[in-house]
Amino acid sequence: MMSTSRRGFSRRQFLGGSAFALAAGTLGMPFIRTARAQAPTFKVGVITSLSGDNILGGNLTKRGYDLWVDAINAKGGVEVGGDRCKVEMFYGDDQSSPATGADAAERLIVQNEVDVLFGPYTSGSTIAVQPICQKYQVPMISGSAESPNVWKAQPEFNFGIIPAVDTTAGKSLAVLAKMSNPTAKTISVIGVNEPFSKETGEGFRDGAKEAGLNLVAYELVPAEGDLTPVISKIAALKPDIVAVGGHEEPLINLVKTSKSLDFRPKALIMHYGVTDPAFAQALAADANGTCGVAVWLPSVPYKDDLFGTAKEFAEMAQKKSGHEPDYTEAACAASGLVLGDAIKRLGKKPALKPGDRVALKDAIAETDIHTFYGPIKFERKGDHYHDNIQPVPVLIQIQDGKTVAVGPKEAAAAALTYPLPTWK
Amino acid sequence: MDLFLQTLLNGLLIGGVIATFTIGFQLTFGVLHVIDFAVGGWVVLGGYLAYYMAAELGLDGFLAIPVAFVLFGMIGYLIGPVLYNVRNSRTARPELMALALTFGLFTLLRGGMLTAWGFNTHSVPTALSGESLSIGPVTVPLIRVAAAAFAASIAGGLFVFLYRTRYGLAIRATAESRQNAALMGVNIRRLSANVYGLYAGITAMAGVLMGAIYSVNPEVGLRYTLFAFFVAVLAGLGSVGGALVAALLLGVIEAFVSTYVGSSYSLLAIFGTLFLVLLVSPRGILQRGL
Repeated sequence: MMSTSRRGFSRRQFLGGSAFALAAGTLGMPFIRTARAQAPTFKVGVITSLSGDNILGGNLTKRGYDLWVDAINAKGGVEVGGDRCKVEMFYGDDQSSPATGADAAERLIVQNEVDVLFGPYTSGSTIAVQPICQKYQVPMISGSAESPNVWKAQPEFNFGIIPAVDTTAGKSLAVLAKMSNPTAKTISVIGVNEPFSKETGEGFRDGAKEAGLNLVAYELVPAEGDLTPVISKIAALKPDIVAVGGHEEPLINLVKTSKSLDFRPKALIMHYGVTDPAFAQALAADANGTCGVAVWLPSVPYKDDLFGTAKEFAEMAQKKSGHEPDYTEAACAASGLVLGDAIKRLGKKPALKPGDRVALKDAIAETDIHTFYGPIKFERKGDHYHDNIQPVPVLIQIQDGKTVAVGPKEAAAAALTYPLPTWK
Repeated sequence: MDLFLQTLLNGLLIGGVIATFTIGFQLTFGVLHVIDFAVGGWVVLGGYLAYYMAAELGLDGFLAIPVAFVLFGMIGYLIGPVLYNVRNSRTARPELMALALTFGLFTLLRGGMLTAWGFNTHSVPTALSGESLSIGPVTVPLIRVAAAAFAASIAGGLFVFLYRTRYGLAIRATAESRQNAALMGVNIRRLSANVYGLYAGITAMAGVLMGAIYSVNPEVGLRYTLFAFFVAVLAGLGSVGGALVAALLLGVIEAFVSTYVGSSYSLLAIFGTLFLVLLVSPRGILQRGL
């Protein structure tokens, strides 16, 4: 019979060895963590959609946050009392599900011991994470959430860089209606039935009255549903403008379905998604003429010390990812500027104690800075509590595959194409 | 009346679109007795193949249809025996093991697509994309007509294959009783590989059409899996003919509820129908399998 030693490993030895290695690894972990905690590094947790339906937007937010951390670490880190402390990022995937987002936030706070959080891509996940921030008293800066419901509950520890959609959708619609020639009279609104998209639809619906438009249909559609029935229904009503609240995939499907039914309104306005270059790439020439709303463009006349001008920021982002950044990516990068400014004023080095995190929250609330993204100052009361509603929305339109500002007049870089030509 | 006719057409075409990726799913269940969670993965892979051929090679998306059948049919042929072994293993609950295997396969396909093509949403251009025909008051989207015709021809072709050929007889015999079929000399393992290959090929071809009608990204696969499952349950698991009828029924319900009640109630109506059919006729609307 062959001895165990000559065979190399017996099963018992293998299992014993594995158990030892596992135990050694587990026992060793606290030492690794202690060693890391001693370094003067701020730990920032990022919760976003790295898988699931919102993976595109999730990666977009991640790119924005990463642009800031790369830029600030290249300068030696964030400024604290004359020194500089580097920033380390920890990522949590919400899998495009709010409940998973809340779990990811708790894991980042408890296991990774992050000092501060950068918020998710979707408003739904942001709302789900807010109670976790409150429970552990960890501030969260959201570079993407646009739903007004995120701010209505007056979250103490959450701050938003992008103005809520109810402050932008209606204004842009009014600009479109005012610029239309012949003047648009009727509108149909479609909203995909999930928090952000639905509230965008509501923003358009409520804004229609102020814009002097007659609302002939308001439809909420499930994200998984086929769009032919709703488009046929709306086509029969012949509205001048169709306004849509949704993310990129349903928006792309909507344009394709409209074309396959040979329906084209005089103007098609969407909110988020149009500004992402992937929208124009997927639809090619069919994307031309689609209007959207942006709170930032590379052409805005703003600048700061870290990123330089908006144009320089856009060039940097383009160089890194190969895509021109949209306003969400810019707002996520600007989240870091808010954090850096608040830490500088707080003057506390990492790791932040619970009391320091509350003080950091207060420092963030006091933010009043000018960045490449524009002015950032958070509301202190009302329905937009802790949201930055400073940026002025710009009406954009895709022309020859490029996103150009068409309104209001003072921001316009090109004339609005209205009415849109028919498909055939 | 115009809107009624348009809605009816929309509903039938939605049904035709759903049927394209449900027929193969039913065949697999009928023969292998496996609920293939990976169905959505095969659909999206077909879409990506067409996108790749259009974007990188400048070819029309439709040219990807035969390529998808051959390529993914071969891959399915290789995976089939693995699935067969798991499904017929002596472990406890092999049906759950097989379900877990297909779930793992789906996750692998999704992750692979994410790595290969990234997270952006793409579209598949074809000669019929965006083209329509006006017949009186009704607008007929040609790409959807092509998808419905595809579903009908696949269902018809499978019917002829299953009921008019000796190999089809062997497949039906295997679906009815694997043991008896094996005793009659049917090589069950090879037959399972062939059926899974046929299914993967058909489903990937359907994916080319899905990419042309809707759009392609790695995350939409789950949606197709769920719809295939709903239709299969409504049709009666394993019933190829029932899949066509059930898909058309769901499509028409979705279209009429969306148009005349409200789009937000369309999924409620679909689930309500599914629930009622299961309550009244648990074996599905046609009450028979393969």
